[in-house]
Amino acid sequence: MRRNGLGAYLRFLGAAFSSNIQAAMEYRVNFLVQVFGMMLNNAAFAVFWKILIDRAGSIGGYGFTDVMALWAIVSTSFGLAHVFMGNIRNLGSVIMKGELDVYLLQPKDPWLNVLVSRTSVSAWGDTFYGYIVLAFLPGPSVPGFLLFTVLAIIGALVLAATFSAAESLAFFLGDSSAISGALAEFMLSFSLYPETIFDRNARWIFYSIIPSGFVAFLPLAAWKSLNWSMVPLLAAAALVYVIASRALFALGLRRYESGSQMGTRL
Amino acid sequence: MRAARAAGAPRSLVMRYAKYFMAARLGLHTRLAYRGNAIGRSLTYGLFIFVYSRIWTTVMAGRTELGGYGLSALVWYFIVAELPSFAYGRFFGTVAEDVKSGQIAYLVARPWSFLGYGFAQAMGPALLDIGSFAVEGLLFGLLLLGDCPLRDPAQAGALLLSLLLSGVIQYHFQAGIALTAFWVEENSAFLWIWQKFALVIGTLMPIELLPETARRMALRTPFPWIAWAPGRIAVAWDGGLSPALLAGQAAWALGAILLSRLVYAAGRRRIAAQGG
Repeated sequence: MRRNGLGAYLRFLGAAFSSNIQAAMEYRVNFLVQVFGMMLNNAAFAVFWKILIDRAGSIGGYGFTDVMALWAIVSTSFGLAHVFMGNIRNLGSVIMKGELDVYLLQPKDPWLNVLVSRTSVSAWGDTFYGYIVLAFLPGPSVPGFLLFTVLAIIGALVLAATFSAAESLAFFLGDSSAISGALAEFMLSFSLYPETIFDRNARWIFYSIIPSGFVAFLPLAAWKSLNWSMVPLLAAAALVYVIASRALFALGLRRYESGSQMGTRL
Repeated sequence: MRAARAAGAPRSLVMRYAKYFMAARLGLHTRLAYRGNAIGRSLTYGLFIFVYSRIWTTVMAGRTELGGYGLSALVWYFIVAELPSFAYGRFFGTVAEDVKSGQIAYLVARPWSFLGYGFAQAMGPALLDIGSFAVEGLLFGLLLLGDCPLRDPAQAGALLLSLLLSGVIQYHFQAGIALTAFWVEENSAFLWIWQKFALVIGTLMPIELLPETARRMALRTPFPWIAWAPGRIAVAWDGGLSPALLAGQAAWALGAILLSRLVYAAGRRRIAAQGG
């Protein structure tokens, strides 16, 4: 019997998601406050863009609808990444405090195990926000909704891989929270603004170190033209980032020293 | 006897406020002990300046002014208007935590004002933050634009005073919101609403870019007095308007202090301490 086959991993991911949901729902008021708070946070920027674009016209060729579509895709991608892998941004802290032991002793892949062991409550707000914006964009359609979902899942994988790689620097640098936090901030900030405001010669960064291009700009182009043919390319890029991120974690794991900390996962 | 009493008066005044200076020092030392945290925030501040300088450069391509601001003024405005967000954005947490954890029951019995002590302890490190972010912003601004809008010592003084008043407004409104934890435990949503209004009304862009009706309404709220007033003083020094901006900030600072004290007085009645 294969205990670590694809089916076993899918069951494991389902069980982790289910227990994370139950934990989040234990504090329902907190859950609702955080979800609506995050949607409000995102909506504040929509007001900013509406006022600015009404006043100044399009910005670098992006109209209000384009900016909102960009926000919808990135918001849902970010939300999905943190709903399903809510521990990504804590990975560095887990490594630094020597808390990986509990995951290393379990039969599933420790990298995946750490990432999916929590959900971020506010990320549910980001996920919903993207779909709400999508519903208000002109010409809603079922194919558009499906493509949006596929693109958001791909974006979530790229985001999770990038954040995880940044957090894995803790293996090499010790307390790398300032650098990993800044890298995550760079990733988000560059994804949420029109690509055309940045210098053409610097845009290669968005398709390499800070892969906003695969989370925001290419998915936006694909969604606007309902172009499914870009999906395999984006999925391949996501796979490369996931493999690279997993490899960095494995490389770092060789340097990991246990904190001899006693821990349990309930 | 009268002379001795007269000499004692300033001494007792100093003694009275010495504890608040100590609180500010304590906050400052705590901040200095965790310098690593500041690196991430400095990088984020620098990133925001870069991104918004690109936005304004794109917006201003082919035009000389927008809402009365040129490109340089818009970028400098953003650099200054973001200072209160970065330095004064985290006052809420400590006060709310004191109430939620019950720590406030111990703090109210101490020989100082709860809000006064909290203000001093928060402003010590916040002023350090304002200073360090301002230096960073100045360097970024000079690098990106090559000029500096601060030309008059009176303007620099007014800007410092304006940033200080902004801190008074922010602390006392955030404390007032945090103290609603006496009635509503999950009160962080109130803070988010406050922050988002402050962000849109005067932080991300000058209020002159808002539609006319929204701008007039905004001026009747505390939000523009947090970021717009210092931003405007920094980029458009005007001997007539700038004192009016400072007066407006002072009025809102006073209002914020009164409001936080009212909420505190109402909430304090709900404290129930039991011996043990």
